[in-house]
Amino acid sequence: MNDIVTWAALAPVLALLGSLINGLFGRRLKEPLPGIIGSVAVGAGFVLSFIAFIALLGRTEPSVSLVLWPYLNAGSFSLELGFVIDSLSVIMMMIVTGVGLLIHIYSIGYMHGDSGFSRYFAGLNLFIAAMLILVMADSFLLMFVGWEGVGVVSYLLIGFWYRERLNADAARKAFIVNRIGDVGFLLAMFLIFKTFGTLNIAEVNEAALSLVFGSAALSLIALLLLLAATGKSAQLPLQVWLPDAMAGPTPVSALIHAATMVTAGVYLIARAAPLFAQSPAAAATVAWVGALTAIIAAFVALSQKDIKKILAYSTISQLGYMFVAVGVGAYWVGIFHFFTNAFFKALLFLTAGSVIHALGGEQNIDKMGGLGKSMKITGGTALIAALAISGAPFLSGFFSKDAILSASFNSELIAGYGNYVIYAILLLTAVMTAFYMFRWYYRVFAGSERLDKETKVRLHESPSIMTVPLLILAFFSVVAGYIGLPEFAFPNWLAPWLEQSIEAPVNFVHRAVLTEWLLIGLSVLAVAVGLGLAYWVYHLKNAAPLARFNQGFLGALNRFSQSGAGFDGLYRNVFINPGEGTAGGLAAVDKEVIDRGIRAGFVSVGLLGRLLGLWQSGYVRIYALAMLAGIAILVILLAVTGVMA
Amino acid sequence: MTLAALFLPLVTALLLSFTAQAQAKRALALAGTILTFVVALFLPGDSGVAVPWIPGFGVYFALNPAGAAAVLVPVAALVMIPTVLYAGLKVERRGGAFIALLLAMQTGLNGIFLAKDLVLFYLFWEATLIPSLFMLGIWGGGERRAAVMKYMIYAMTGSLLMLLAILAIKPLSGAASYQLADLLAVTPQLALRTQVWLFIGFTLAFAVKLPLWPLHAWLPDFHEQNHSSGAADVAGTLYKVGAWGFFAWALPLLPAAATLIAPILLALAAFTAVYAALIATSQSHFKRLLAYASLSHMGIVGVGLFGLHLAGLNGAIYLLAAQMVSTGGMFLISGMLFDRKGSFDLSNFGGLAKSAPAMAALTLFVLFASIGVPGLANFPGEFMSLLGAYQNNPYLAAFATLAVIAAGVYGVNLYQRLYQGREEHGAVRELAGLELLVLVPIVVGILWLGLAPQPQLERIEEQSQLLSTQLEVQMTETVLLKGAER
Repeated sequence: MNDIVTWAALAPVLALLGSLINGLFGRRLKEPLPGIIGSVAVGAGFVLSFIAFIALLGRTEPSVSLVLWPYLNAGSFSLELGFVIDSLSVIMMMIVTGVGLLIHIYSIGYMHGDSGFSRYFAGLNLFIAAMLILVMADSFLLMFVGWEGVGVVSYLLIGFWYRERLNADAARKAFIVNRIGDVGFLLAMFLIFKTFGTLNIAEVNEAALSLVFGSAALSLIALLLLLAATGKSAQLPLQVWLPDAMAGPTPVSALIHAATMVTAGVYLIARAAPLFAQSPAAAATVAWVGALTAIIAAFVALSQKDIKKILAYSTISQLGYMFVAVGVGAYWVGIFHFFTNAFFKALLFLTAGSVIHALGGEQNIDKMGGLGKSMKITGGTALIAALAISGAPFLSGFFSKDAILSASFNSELIAGYGNYVIYAILLLTAVMTAFYMFRWYYRVFAGSERLDKETKVRLHESPSIMTVPLLILAFFSVVAGYIGLPEFAFPNWLAPWLEQSIEAPVNFVHRAVLTEWLLIGLSVLAVAVGLGLAYWVYHLKNAAPLARFNQGFLGALNRFSQSGAGFDGLYRNVFINPGEGTAGGLAAVDKEVIDRGIRAGFVSVGLLGRLLGLWQSGYVRIYALAMLAGIAILVILLAVTGVMA
Repeated sequence: MTLAALFLPLVTALLLSFTAQAQAKRALALAGTILTFVVALFLPGDSGVAVPWIPGFGVYFALNPAGAAAVLVPVAALVMIPTVLYAGLKVERRGGAFIALLLAMQTGLNGIFLAKDLVLFYLFWEATLIPSLFMLGIWGGGERRAAVMKYMIYAMTGSLLMLLAILAIKPLSGAASYQLADLLAVTPQLALRTQVWLFIGFTLAFAVKLPLWPLHAWLPDFHEQNHSSGAADVAGTLYKVGAWGFFAWALPLLPAAATLIAPILLALAAFTAVYAALIATSQSHFKRLLAYASLSHMGIVGVGLFGLHLAGLNGAIYLLAAQMVSTGGMFLISGMLFDRKGSFDLSNFGGLAKSAPAMAALTLFVLFASIGVPGLANFPGEFMSLLGAYQNNPYLAAFATLAVIAAGVYGVNLYQRLYQGREEHGAVRELAGLELLVLVPIVVGILWLGLAPQPQLERIEEQSQLLSTQLEVQMTETVLLKGAER
């Protein structure tokens, strides 16, 4: 522990400690003490992470490894648990603890008066611990520990208000869908061990670079890891759990289901970048999954009426962008968008939480409107967040989204013209993003008030323990993009910093500066079109042009969008019902066929049949005697064979 | 130490019959189990015993804790502490006798794990059945007779064939004695045909006890009908010694047959793992659900074992130890819930987290351990079992891994049905006092096995390394033979 960087390894320990204190003794602590304990534990983790970051800044090789303890060393399999704190993981750690701290503080206000106050903070701290383990892990196995850990905590917190059946159902759904992804992770590890003989990420990455480009084993490993990533990051085809996960308390949605946990899939791919860079087929699959998810989720977001569901689909869509980035080989860009997204997406959710808090639980945007007047901070910061996520120039989302568009346009990892198609999809999605985000903003914060009278009376701005975190997040939503300015014309700090930890050779076409400016112009145009359309429909015309979306083809499209593109129904018919049928059928087979069949087989052996008859007379003791007699016979038989031998 | 670990439980059981007062019986039994656990912790490094027992027939009283026994005996002893404690609290009719049988079973189990003489192993194997049958037959539920009958027929048919194999193996191989070392020196050289016949004899006995599909049908009834405290179910969980039989005897003694037959057994085990987990998702009887869940775990143990890869062998035995704690813990919790609700029917529960939050939290913890959440007891063994099998047979191992999904389904479904939603069927008492104490060893065991597997793994490794080397030699020879034939 001579190196100051290694002190950051205490961050997950502190969070775990906070969780234990609140979990074991929290019910005896008075509000807000559990919240303060939780916040201090995470805050200390942030300080340690920040110190580690500063210490790493000046180093030529910003990477520190720390072995914790031997875990599974046996025979050819060897595994020690260890952390690696490098330029990639330290960024993740700062976001997890930093944004985490703000959300902890906000929660003290939001969860005020809840009977599960200490249980809530125990869960939130446990999440931070598991997430830190995930990002600091030096092996796929330890990463999997964190990976399932965050899944477990996510399950606990989605079902936090467990007395409502729907919440418990949502939690269950999230857990099970995530387990499907986990099987991908497990199988990937089995194959990684078979191929490379180790599960240490650095060793695997190094060995992958020397493997044949595009070899079958590499592609399969990468695709299995992709399956894992789609589960955790709610991408096609496993995106179905995230909208339901909104059943959890809103700050939980902000922290776990928007800013941090759901980006774990992006992190996994960036961490294992050489596996993907060496396997163009798998990389293209990642990019296509991302692009399709981005546009489908954006399409669904257009028509949702729940203030949180819109944001949930926008999360899925933004994660799609990140998947495209890591799919086309722009790994640092994926992390860049994670970085900016963490601020504005957390902010969006927290403003939504502030609204729900003020309206006493109302989540339908049709019953909101005009809230910006009485909730100035919430409304103002929500506007900043909406602009940032839409990609309005000079805010954080603009730079990171533009970097993704530019990377997908220029990537040479995707064969043929695929990257141009993906670019076009993302550009269209950008239009839709601006549109649905401003639909959200106008319907909630601007225009006519559609509240009922009771709610109107209660309407108030949230207390400062909630609004101060909003302001801080708003500040970063504005400035966070300046660490990753377009490389062709400006200094970019983030790319070289991250690429010290991500060594994966991917070629990008270097275009003329004019082309690059043109691409930026197109992005700006996309935002302008989407924003303008939303302004016209929802601000000028007060949603009147939407009347025609109730009938005919447009009506069908509208309903399709509202149903979440029909995935839940599809999966129920294709997987859940047949699955339950199979389980029930097997249970019946087990009881009737296997059991009876074997019994019949036994009974047909005459001697045993007679034994059975005896048994049914009920003399348990006779059987014990029979067995002792059996043992006696054994000894006698032994004697006989002994003599013969 | 070895003899003490073996006989302490039996001696305690005998002393119980000289104690009249119920309170004193409980105290004595608890002291006995705790002492056994402490003694068992000192097993590693102990030299064991080996004295001629029936010299004319080559039978030795040979016991040695070297290798995996030094893991299984202490873990079983740890689980026995809460089991005896809880049985003392909840078995009202002739509780002393019940506890005496539990302790007798522990001696039998320890004998199974420690025996280094095949005949001695068989004696313990059979002897342990008696208390287990008594517990089911005397303290079981309404349908216990049918359950006892089924259980006994399965067990005895298997044992009978194993007995024949045991009787035959010494004369056939010309071994100097029934001691493992003497057998090992000659049996691997037996002709393949002979090995296969002997292996089949062992396999039936072990497959019933593993249990392996389709010889598992006794298990759900066994658990459904056992005493509602769940204590006898825990003993039954510890008594899942089929995997041990393969690991310690059948595989090393008959490696040629093992490499030939293992793929079939691997397929059965993989099927068992998925099949049982799927069935568990549709169960509405608490203990039947746990029985199928446990069957699924044993399928994964089988996958690790019959994958014949070193990592898998280690994992299988590790999981065997871990499931004693996690599944055992679940059975005790089922007993505590029965104590409150008088039912194992899951439709009679719901919303209990409100009135019993600590109980809900502990249940979820043990349940998560049981479905293989990393950091808790079952994960290291499950992971290594599947990983090992994958190295030699990717498709079957991948298939078995699907059980992980089904485990997620039955796990969270169970939790939801017990604890989430509204308390439509009334509130319950929160865990308190001795009940909390009962769960302490379970929680400790889950964390111990989940976070620091290395020391235990090294002991298992000591034994599986030898086995794996032997199997590898065999596999190379088979490949060479096949090459020569071509």
